[in-house]
Amino acid sequence: MHTLKLLSSFLKVNIQMSLAYRADTVVNILLNLMWLGWELLSLNIIFSNTSTLGGWGLGELIALLGVFRLVNTLMIALIWPNTEKFNQSIRDGSMDYTILQPVNSMFLVTFSRITVWRIWDLVLAVILIVVGINMAGDIITPFSLLAFILLTVTGMIIIYSLWIILIAMTFWFTKFDNNVTILQALLDSGRYPATVYPAWLRIIVTFIIPIAVATTIPLQALRGDLASGQILLFIAISVVGFWTATNIWKMGLKRYSGASS
Amino acid sequence: MFLIIKRLWQVNWAEQWQYRANLLMYLLYWLVSPIIYLAVWTSIANQKGSVNGFTANDFIAYYMVLLICDQVTSNIVIHTFGYKIQDGTLSGELVRPIHPMLTNGLVNNIAFKALTMMGLTPIWIILYFLYKPDFSGMSLSNMLLAVPAMILAFFIGYLLSASITSLAFWTTRVYSIHEFYFALILLFSGQFVPLTLMPKVVQDIAQYLPFQLLIYYPIQLILGKLSAQQIAQGYVMSLIWLGISGLLFYLVWRNGVKRYSAVGA
Repeated sequence: MHTLKLLSSFLKVNIQMSLAYRADTVVNILLNLMWLGWELLSLNIIFSNTSTLGGWGLGELIALLGVFRLVNTLMIALIWPNTEKFNQSIRDGSMDYTILQPVNSMFLVTFSRITVWRIWDLVLAVILIVVGINMAGDIITPFSLLAFILLTVTGMIIIYSLWIILIAMTFWFTKFDNNVTILQALLDSGRYPATVYPAWLRIIVTFIIPIAVATTIPLQALRGDLASGQILLFIAISVVGFWTATNIWKMGLKRYSGASS
Repeated sequence: MFLIIKRLWQVNWAEQWQYRANLLMYLLYWLVSPIIYLAVWTSIANQKGSVNGFTANDFIAYYMVLLICDQVTSNIVIHTFGYKIQDGTLSGELVRPIHPMLTNGLVNNIAFKALTMMGLTPIWIILYFLYKPDFSGMSLSNMLLAVPAMILAFFIGYLLSASITSLAFWTTRVYSIHEFYFALILLFSGQFVPLTLMPKVVQDIAQYLPFQLLIYYPIQLILGKLSAQQIAQGYVMSLIWLGISGLLFYLVWRNGVKRYSAVGA
């Protein structure tokens, strides 16, 4: 309850901040629509030359685009602004004040900045997912839909955990302020099913920087490509990942000694 | 003048070298898209035998050459100069008796390019052995012809980007304008897919725009896909666009500097 209250006041503050730049918000939304247009056009170009991509139909790729946009929103609305603030606070020592608050510091560091106008992107993503699923039609069962939703959530948790681990590294290596660029660099790979990639790239985006776990895997569950054992495995990985991230964060926090000392 | 350029080179090289870790990240970021497009299109071509005449091998050759052409003809002037106009650090460069964009900015871009090329070369060789592209259509004369074409393309791209960057004299939203420009490049240059696979309308418009000169034209030239007449046409187009973009930059810059009043002045 306490956490929800905090979250809503973070939202309030961030809405107020973004209201100061109304025209920018409009321009950003227009640019965002332009990119959506480009993404749909590129799918159209692909599917005017073929009927399936790696066995996937157009509907599935539109749904994948929706899931990709969810991860992308997580990246732009939460990960970038908070990382920037965090790196700054490690450099200048203002992290002191964050730790002094009587709240979970990990929560505070990862949710205090939210690029609010991006939230409409979530709506867009959900529309894409619904439209895509409708187009894909008969491959969907209630069970696969449930697995899809579950694995989308676990995928997001895995990306979130990786982010925590990456920024926690800054406690050990203060100059490591490139910490999330590697996530961003590989993000674009989430637009297409990882099954069409060559093996080396597939290994990177599945095991090292698991973008595919948050994009391709949920869609595979929707298509019914995954056995229930595999679905349970991904849920287990997300739990273990989150637990590991929390502990690395705590260990890192113990190493923090302020900027002046 | 030669001495000035030499000094500028030393300064800019040292500056870029300092950020070599960032540079590697940039290179990785920039590499991902072409490799993904390559994977998508070879997967379709393998499944169907060929796409509109393009075999899997053609796609591999196309994107492998694209990696080089894009690196040679692109520029980062919006990132290195946009903020200078906005926060007023441009003032220090304006009092020098040399043009900030056409000397310092240009040398800075070339230093950046030289460094990224150093990073790209080993990666390109690894990709070459991974994909084993078939470059049999290539000839030495075409490659030699492509060098001036790519240099021309770099200058066209640089002058266009510099014009857009100079819009920062008027608006703080120059980065949004640049994002739109970037989307135009993506659509009309052949970066996503060889232009002949784009919708007919896009191809027709692309013929008259400078963007295909940056990527599609040099790639086709290197791969030996163009007739002598098409090569000559490309050169003529390049020279025309060099003139247009040069004039555009001259006008935008001259009027912009007149408006400029630095922060704190």
